[in-house]
Amino acid sequence: MSDEIKNTPPTQPDPAPDAGRSTLPIGIVVLTVVLVFLGGLYFDRHSGWFDHQVYAPYASTDELELYQPKSGAAAAIAHGKVVYEQVCGICHGPDGLGKPGQAPPLADSELVNAKGSERLAHIPLAGLNGHVQVAGKDWNMSMAAMGAALPDDDLAAVLSYIRSSWGNKAPAVSGDDIHKLRGTMGAHPAAMSGDQLMKMPE
Amino acid sequence: MKSGLTVFFAAFVALGASWFGFVVVPTVQLGGLKQTTVLNTTDLYPPQRIGDATLGLQIYRANGCAACHTQQVRQDGVSCEVVLTSGGKNPQAVTNLLAILYLKNLTKAQADDVAAQITAAGGKVETHTVPSGADLDHGWGVRQSVAEDYLYDYPVQLGSLRAGPDLAAIGLRSSDANWHLLHLYAPQSVVSTSRMPSFRYLFTVQKKGATPAPDALNLPAAFAAPAGSEVVPTPAAKELVAYLLSLRANAPLYDAPFTPPAQP
Repeated sequence: MSDEIKNTPPTQPDPAPDAGRSTLPIGIVVLTVVLVFLGGLYFDRHSGWFDHQVYAPYASTDELELYQPKSGAAAAIAHGKVVYEQVCGICHGPDGLGKPGQAPPLADSELVNAKGSERLAHIPLAGLNGHVQVAGKDWNMSMAAMGAALPDDDLAAVLSYIRSSWGNKAPAVSGDDIHKLRGTMGAHPAAMSGDQLMKMPE
Repeated sequence: MKSGLTVFFAAFVALGASWFGFVVVPTVQLGGLKQTTVLNTTDLYPPQRIGDATLGLQIYRANGCAACHTQQVRQDGVSCEVVLTSGGKNPQAVTNLLAILYLKNLTKAQADDVAAQITAAGGKVETHTVPSGADLDHGWGVRQSVAEDYLYDYPVQLGSLRAGPDLAAIGLRSSDANWHLLHLYAPQSVVSTSRMPSFRYLFTVQKKGATPAPDALNLPAAFAAPAGSEVVPTPAAKELVAYLLSLRANAPLYDAPFTPPAQP
């Protein structure tokens, strides 16, 4: 009897449960990978990469750029009208007819309707002093370089606007034209006299 | 606790990541937000509020207006619309094209295609960007709300429940200060189906003098004060109305583009 008891090995207490590592079922691993992949696709399509200017329904800055309301020349001229009324219209008038003793008219002006835009663009960029012939009259006054502070595109839009309004029919001016002209003029061009201006190429 | 350090670091990373994502990143992106220019103009948006309207924001906040009114217009989609501006030299060809082409609810690529076809026939077109969505159909705005709209709001009164209409553009829908005063004093006097409580404590009922006070409300008979007295708005009511009138989120912006209606 006692031999039998002695031969029985002493029972060990169960080991304490342990939160150790155990192998994950392969199904869960695959599911996680698939979910992360789908999440990545969704992120790519809808996040706009966390750009603060991209709101739904736009998915990216490219798409946002696409829907900016620009329709070529018409939009530029509409923009030119806005800038004109803020910067030029006070003296030259919202109707482009000018004001006696203050500013010559832009409607039917030879300077505005010239084929090239160089001479015209010089006036707002550098300013104009003294006598100038506009629409058959002599105007003797001075204009500051009102356009010198405007960005190229804004000035181009203004010139395109005045060249296509109030019966004027001259080709539009592009921002590049203004940029090139600015490059030739230097940083602080002196105001021109009317004679100097008329000697310039159109 | 064998893995105390691991739990601590896991919690630290989880909270730190959300703090980074919800506090740091938005602050870096929008903390330095400035006025922006309205599309295709040199106008700045949003305009700085006048003093009364700035005070009115605090009245709006104190009266819990944001409990029933939101200030956030959502947009579900965007489409393009091709608008004919001139028939050109051969109007018949353009008319024939218009009969077979869809001009609304187009994607940008479709709109470009349609515009090219009409231009080839001699017509002149403009492509308009048209936002769409349930909130916009309600007439609550012309585009979705974006961060710039709230530049001068502190605190921002976004709201989360719409017992009443959205107010992001209320200053455009009803731009009459007297209408707003009547509406605050007796909502049912101007909107018969309104469920809004009246805010009579923003008004004083006083005895009518020899001449009526210049800012006394012109109430309909059913809501009028007792005979011999008149209803006069307090400064708080006027400030609140100034604030409501300053809510006009309607400028086309780079991040919320749309084609504004043509200026007459």
